Amino acid sequence: MADDKDVLRDVWFGRIPTCFTLNPDEATEREAEPYYLLLPRVSYLPLVTDKVKKHFLKVMKAEDVEMWFEYEGTPLKWHYPVGVLFDLHASNTVLPWSITVHFKSFPDQDLLHCPSNSVVEAHFMSSIKEADALKHKSQVINDMQKKDHKQLWMGLQNDKFDQFWAMNRKLMEYSTEEGGFRYIPFRIYQTSSDRPFIQKLFRPVSPEGSAHTLGDLLNEMYPDKKRYQVLIHGIEPLLETPLQWLSEHLSHPDNFLHICVVPAPTD
Amino acid sequence: MALWITYEMTFYYVILLRLFTNARLLLRCAAMTETDCCVLDEEDFRRCCRLLLQRSEQLRDGWSWEVVQGSDEGYLRKTALRSVPDPQTSTCSSRPKQSKEEPDCASSLVPDSGRGELDEEDDGSCIVSEGSSVVLQYEYHILYSSSYSTPVLYFRAFTLEGRSLTLEEVWSFVHPNFRLCLQNSPLNALSQQEHPLLGQPFFYLHPCRTEEFMKLVLTAAEDKHRPMNYVLLWLSLVGPAVGLDVPLEYCIEPQPSDPE
Repeated sequence: MADDKDVLRDVWFGRIPTCFTLNPDEATEREAEPYYLLLPRVSYLPLVTDKVKKHFLKVMKAEDVEMWFEYEGTPLKWHYPVGVLFDLHASNTVLPWSITVHFKSFPDQDLLHCPSNSVVEAHFMSSIKEADALKHKSQVINDMQKKDHKQLWMGLQNDKFDQFWAMNRKLMEYSTEEGGFRYIPFRIYQTSSDRPFIQKLFRPVSPEGSAHTLGDLLNEMYPDKKRYQVLIHGIEPLLETPLQWLSEHLSHPDNFLHICVVPAPTD
Repeated sequence: MALWITYEMTFYYVILLRLFTNARLLLRCAAMTETDCCVLDEEDFRRCCRLLLQRSEQLRDGWSWEVVQGSDEGYLRKTALRSVPDPQTSTCSSRPKQSKEEPDCASSLVPDSGRGELDEEDDGSCIVSEGSSVVLQYEYHILYSSSYSTPVLYFRAFTLEGRSLTLEEVWSFVHPNFRLCLQNSPLNALSQQEHPLLGQPFFYLHPCRTEEFMKLVLTAAEDKHRPMNYVLLWLSLVGPAVGLDVPLEYCIEPQPSDPE
């Protein structure tokens, strides 16, 4: 399936051009130039913004404090993949994505702390574990050794597609008589909701044996239809796409399908 | 694989220790609900919570059921004041600290989240001498995890002035008996996490091992033909680690003459 493998690569190498600007209220010794960066959609802000931190700390009097990001007044949750944050908050805006950098007044009622990359690793592995609990009752992840888990993390951290997928393919297997995973790991995000996301048990195959589609999932979660746009990795997959296929090919490295439901752009 | 076995064995050993000390609790647990051993579906969870809530109201233990706006989902909630030794006034003697920029006692007992390497930590031994105590506000939420088919405990803690406690501080107030268990458990069992219904940062106890240790307890109970309230039993095992005690009275059948 040459085409399907290409999809995996396209997903992995997706990038978002971003412009980082320092919060104008933060005191600097000299003018802070904006910093431009291509952010990997599948990674996490703390993993890919070391250069941003170095750049802005050069012009600030502050010691090494916890950096945090905000977009149009909304603190950005670093434990969400970068691409999810963009699709959710800025999908129909002009590129580059403009993010404001802060070093003061960490909003600890909104954001988790991230003192080091090991915290990101713990979150990432926790998601993978949860996804496998849904897909395989944790059998595959528990059969892996600690070094295999490390390989998944290092593959993500160092942007090594082959290293990551050598291990991740095991998490994408299922027995043919099952027809798919036990449940599909997914989260649906919507900014208009008070809830951070919707996550429920949902099978890829109906009791009658037919494949559930993306449309079926959305009908189940949003029975009252409205005009919205459904984004996964910045694209709108056809609602007829089988959920099992989406889970195998459009999941994030954490093995979850992160689906953003945003208001349809008014033309 | 060997490393995982060691972690698990330590974890189970401490859990079993706790089980023995809870033996009275188990033996006196009245029939509250039958649960299909080890697997807790959402309906079971709600039923167990309702029973727990009823008993809590009788005992004035402070639990309430919170509903999520616009859905039928909910969770148990309780706030409590907790008195802990003031880290500023209590003195400790322990192994020489690894990091030089953390002079106070509380953080020297904490796994260094900066390095995230648990095998370099001190052995957690400390002699705390008398000092004053400080009162903290804890807020506990019990949610259902459909991914793991278990309850999950989320909590947050504040000083009386309203300042949120950090992970390091929360960790420092975990009783030493539990610290070894939580520390060696994979995935840093106690960590910060986004509350799945409210979206705010909470601390939580990672649920991935819950089914395993609950299985131990529940099969033992089944052998004695004692139906158990899964949520109550689970709470009595994990709660005390984070300052949440479950009074024995929960398991005693209310007498007809008990006041409503």
